[in-house]
Amino acid sequence: MNNKKEDPSGMESLVDTWMKSMGEFWTGMASTWAGAPTGNPESHAKDSGIGNKAQETMASALKNWQIISAAMAEPESMASLFKGAGVMPEILSQMAQSSMGSLMEMQKKMVERVGRMGDTVEAYRFEGIEENLFGVWSDIYDKEFRQFFQIPQLGLLRTYQEKTNQVVDKYNQFQYQLSEFLSLLGLPFNRSIKVMQDKLAEMAEEGELPNDANVYYQMWIKILEGHFMTLFQTPEYVQALAKTVNALSDLSGAKDSFFEDLLNSLPVAKKSDMDDMAREIYELKKRIRLLEKNQKRS
Amino acid sequence: MPQVKIPVDLIMTKMAQDAERIQSRAKNASEVLLDNLDTDLAKTPFEVVYQEDRVKLKHYIPKTKTKYKTPLLVVYALINRETMLDLQPGRSVVERFLESGIDLYMIDWGYPTRKDRFQGFDDHINGYMDNVVEFIRHRHKVDKVNLMGICMGGTFSVIYSALHPDKIKNLVTTVTPTNFDTKKGLLHVWMENLDVDRVVDTYGNLPADMMNYGFLLLNPARLMIDKYVGFMENVDNKKFVENFVRMEKWIFDSPDLPGEVFRKFIKDCYQGNRLIKNSLMVGGERVDLKKLTMPLLNIYGKYDHLVPPEACELLTRSVGSKDTEDLCLKTGHIGIYVSSKFQEAFAPKIAGWLKERDGKRRKKRAAKALIKKAVIVPSEKEGKKKVTAKRTTKKSAGRTAGISKTTSG
Repeated sequence: MNNKKEDPSGMESLVDTWMKSMGEFWTGMASTWAGAPTGNPESHAKDSGIGNKAQETMASALKNWQIISAAMAEPESMASLFKGAGVMPEILSQMAQSSMGSLMEMQKKMVERVGRMGDTVEAYRFEGIEENLFGVWSDIYDKEFRQFFQIPQLGLLRTYQEKTNQVVDKYNQFQYQLSEFLSLLGLPFNRSIKVMQDKLAEMAEEGELPNDANVYYQMWIKILEGHFMTLFQTPEYVQALAKTVNALSDLSGAKDSFFEDLLNSLPVAKKSDMDDMAREIYELKKRIRLLEKNQKRS
Repeated sequence: MPQVKIPVDLIMTKMAQDAERIQSRAKNASEVLLDNLDTDLAKTPFEVVYQEDRVKLKHYIPKTKTKYKTPLLVVYALINRETMLDLQPGRSVVERFLESGIDLYMIDWGYPTRKDRFQGFDDHINGYMDNVVEFIRHRHKVDKVNLMGICMGGTFSVIYSALHPDKIKNLVTTVTPTNFDTKKGLLHVWMENLDVDRVVDTYGNLPADMMNYGFLLLNPARLMIDKYVGFMENVDNKKFVENFVRMEKWIFDSPDLPGEVFRKFIKDCYQGNRLIKNSLMVGGERVDLKKLTMPLLNIYGKYDHLVPPEACELLTRSVGSKDTEDLCLKTGHIGIYVSSKFQEAFAPKIAGWLKERDGKRRKKRAAKALIKKAVIVPSEKEGKKKVTAKRTTKKSAGRTAGISKTTSG
């Protein structure tokens, strides 16, 4: 009963559970990075030689997060976290609950994806492309946030409000499509550096390390180019590119529509007015040219 | 654990040397960049002899006596500018053609604005191109011209030649996509999924910046990183900087692409592959490649990532002409025109090929033939030829002019 009074929405226990499971998740991550068996003995053996520094830094960062999340999951911390939140109106609380639900879903998907991490990074291969989390963001946006911009508008200004909402919605959609696209463009950089590290390790073992920095650069740019060429032919990239172009077009369309309304009150021609006129002139010119030709023939 | 041998001392020595070199380069670079750089493009003298809306026809001032009976019309793509063929003195396809004695014309498509968004294939091919060809025919009193198309301009030239075979003597296509059903070029892969209607309906014309981003994304490692690393390595070399800036000027001097041209190019060519299937419709007429009966020289680049050989090489097998030749150069899309090495192979090859097929001057014979047709077959189609004959004879000798008066009266 007491609990119910202090935490009517159940938020505290929800976040408590989330923080705990986040702690467990990051513990798992830390042990994966620290070199715990990943189910892929080859990659484990390969990783143990190189990139130790990066792994150590990552492991240390993960450990810090683990400590912070464990501390946050303590009942005292949670109580203090929600001390101010108790005064939140019911509607805000519901929105937060919805967001938390989304975060839980994202975390679940992250855990699923983390299970696949630790595989070897092979040169010029992008099978693991679906590991990026932007699909999750778009799911969350579509399920949880987008509906707010679809709420029917009422009254005299409903059309204008609807168009404003459309701009915001299209902007958000474009942003996450662009993020996904840019993240894909970042993949070849990550992979080329990893492949380069492997190559350098091999060369170091054979005592063939070049002493000219330009040779390293040429090696890397060639590897990078190869990775880009491979990425660009993957269905994931082609789809992301098409979606980004579509989202950009939709945003431009929504913006145009919004500004057309604004321009209605000003003594200037709108884009659609100019287009209509251009079409009329185009058709008139075409007719005149045809008439000229016909006249010459006769 | 094997002993790892890293030549730290050598690496450090090299780094020290590099640092010294960079310092000296930076000092010279400021002198070069602040100097008067010659970065102008398209310096070969020309005159604009015909203009219609934004489209201009350039006629290059001959350098030597014209050695060809048939003038050559070059049609560049609507993407980027025709100035690529005349980058700088000594590195110019235009210059080489003029030195060969070719009478050279080139279409400058200009910069389409929003009002041009409705202009499609028909307006460009049966409109502007046909008017330009008519102008040259009348100016030179010839019944046919030589036509050379580049990239999308090549596709236009193929379509034009199929629709107006009676006006084209020889056709030269360079890096011209005609078969779009290939996965070799990234553009072909990417365009398959493009919702072109959404883009055109929103933007009107395809914005040049969007196109440029797309082209840079075809090879970001080279076009966005390595190219500028190369520039920094040579920033103290004035000649290099001038050439580099010239290319930069050309690459980013991009007009917007008229929306309806883009829509048809993507839908009917990239997505429908209609041209090679002989099912493309332009101006209400079907484009039948079998009507290409004139000699055809088809040149393309082995390492072209925009228009791969697979997109070009089917053409010669699909046309009606028996005089065809494929020439695959070991270079890329742009290399054919801008590399001095390939210019040496490319321009004289075209000049020689045209010379072999130039034939005798047909001025009088052409005029007679046209008039004969006009008199004998007074159909609507031939009526058009009658006008042509009249125009041709207006500026020619009195004998032909007299006949034309009779026929047009």
